Amino acid sequence: MSGVTSGITGGPLIDFDRVSQIYAARDGSPVWALSDVSLRVEAGEFVCLIGPSGCGKSTLIHLLAGFLKPTSGAVRFRGRPLDGPGPDRGVVFQEYALFAWMTARQNVEFGLRMQRVSAPVRRRRALEALDRVGLRHAADRYPHELSGGMRQRVAVARALVVEPEVVLMDEPFAAVDAMTRNTLQEDLLRLWRETGVSVLFVTHNIDEAVFLAQRVVVMGVGPGVIREDLAVDLPYPRDRGSAEFGREYARIAAALARGSRGAEQSDGERRAA
Amino acid sequence: MTATTDDAAGTGLSTPRRPAADARSDSAAFAEEFRRAHRRGLRRAAWLRALLNVAGILLFLAVWEAVPRLGTWVNPVLLPPPSAVFDSFVPMLLSGEIAANILASLRRAALGFAIATATGVTAGLLTARIGLLHHVSEPILHGFRSVPSIALVPLSVLWFGIGEGSKVALVAWGSFFPIWITTFIGVRDVPAAYLRSAACLGAGRLATLLLVVLPAALPMILAGLRQGIAVSLILLVAAELSGAREGVAYMMSTGHQMFRVDIMLIGLVLLGTFGFIADRLFVALIRRLFPWYTTAS
Repeated sequence: MSGVTSGITGGPLIDFDRVSQIYAARDGSPVWALSDVSLRVEAGEFVCLIGPSGCGKSTLIHLLAGFLKPTSGAVRFRGRPLDGPGPDRGVVFQEYALFAWMTARQNVEFGLRMQRVSAPVRRRRALEALDRVGLRHAADRYPHELSGGMRQRVAVARALVVEPEVVLMDEPFAAVDAMTRNTLQEDLLRLWRETGVSVLFVTHNIDEAVFLAQRVVVMGVGPGVIREDLAVDLPYPRDRGSAEFGREYARIAAALARGSRGAEQSDGERRAA
Repeated sequence: MTATTDDAAGTGLSTPRRPAADARSDSAAFAEEFRRAHRRGLRRAAWLRALLNVAGILLFLAVWEAVPRLGTWVNPVLLPPPSAVFDSFVPMLLSGEIAANILASLRRAALGFAIATATGVTAGLLTARIGLLHHVSEPILHGFRSVPSIALVPLSVLWFGIGEGSKVALVAWGSFFPIWITTFIGVRDVPAAYLRSAACLGAGRLATLLLVVLPAALPMILAGLRQGIAVSLILLVAAELSGAREGVAYMMSTGHQMFRVDIMLIGLVLLGTFGFIADRLFVALIRRLFPWYTTAS
């Protein structure tokens, strides 16, 4: 585990404290992306956010990354309120985020370059990072010469090479085929255990959440809220075919179903009102 | 199988036999043979294309040569055949007149285009990245852009004189706008994921601008530059026709005054060649400098 001392205060690494996020719809009416959401994540945890589209799970990621400021409430990282994006919080996007004009190695080197690491050290560390995702041989290829799965590996290497304390992943494997996705998930778990980094992982895939996460946070729509916060107490590596895996899967599926039923009810109430 | 019946794409290559027995050692030989045949096919196709290109030019010249001779309905003084044009071209080339005129035009175009590139890219970057600047400059820039650049020829002569200044200024003015507008669009539309990735990796404003925004906008900027090359040629001609002491279009206007259509046609061919080569060179340069450009999304 890397020295993930969770701040001076000894509190959680990540603290969403009664966060609401409102934006204007096209007609100017307010839309609640998040409503009074509180969530704490400890250093080294692997947490999956799951929920239907529009439940604000990506908004949570964007808040923590520093792309957005909360309308109300506070987002704290290591006990301090956030001020914009920074290299202590790595982000892996769904796709098309690798710089097209840089080779895989140059992409991975980018963060180190910003830290003014000398060229030879940068190169060595980038190649090591690519090696960890099994892509040392593709170091000099451009993104358009890589498959979708390889690109996401490079994106993971690029986020991890600057040694962030948390990696935020916004449906990173949604655009790759199912076989590749399984391999990517196994690689991610290995990297997580090797580095001790915290992971906040957005998905809409129950199987992915059960396979990866220690905690699954189930979110619901209308407005974006956290419905349930479930611990997945299965040892790694997890076996998709096992009975326990199936039970956890069913538990989360049920929580999601309860969540969407609740949304329909509250929707109906609002319409009735 | 003879080479002439072989088709251009190389699909009709004589497929080597593949006995099932030692398929392993044979497959390498097969792959090598296939590769060679494929390359041969590609080469042949390229040759054929070049041959057809040349045939097209020759056909055009033949028709042109024939038309003034065929009947009395075309006055050979107004449309001299290519042979006559060539006859007057050779002494002009040998005396150095052609080269001097080309050089003069090239210098003006290059200088004006360089100024337009520097100012256009800078203006595009600034207006796209700084909202205040964008809104302040928008009406003026778009207003000027709507004025056909050729309309500024007389004014430019008054302001910058009949010398080099007015020509360079006109070329710069005309090619500034396409370069500015495409740079603006390219920078404005840089995908958010690029900017966010850069911010998460600790990039400051300057690093983001130089290492992310500029390269991401480069395809658009290059499109603008290419358009700028075409526009600068138009303005070069307009400027030289309005009064000059040397240059390809100046040469044409003296041809006009002396009623020498052959000299005017030489100028036309030179200008066409000029534009064509500039465009090809530009494309080749892009391919070489930015290998990711052609296929990047």
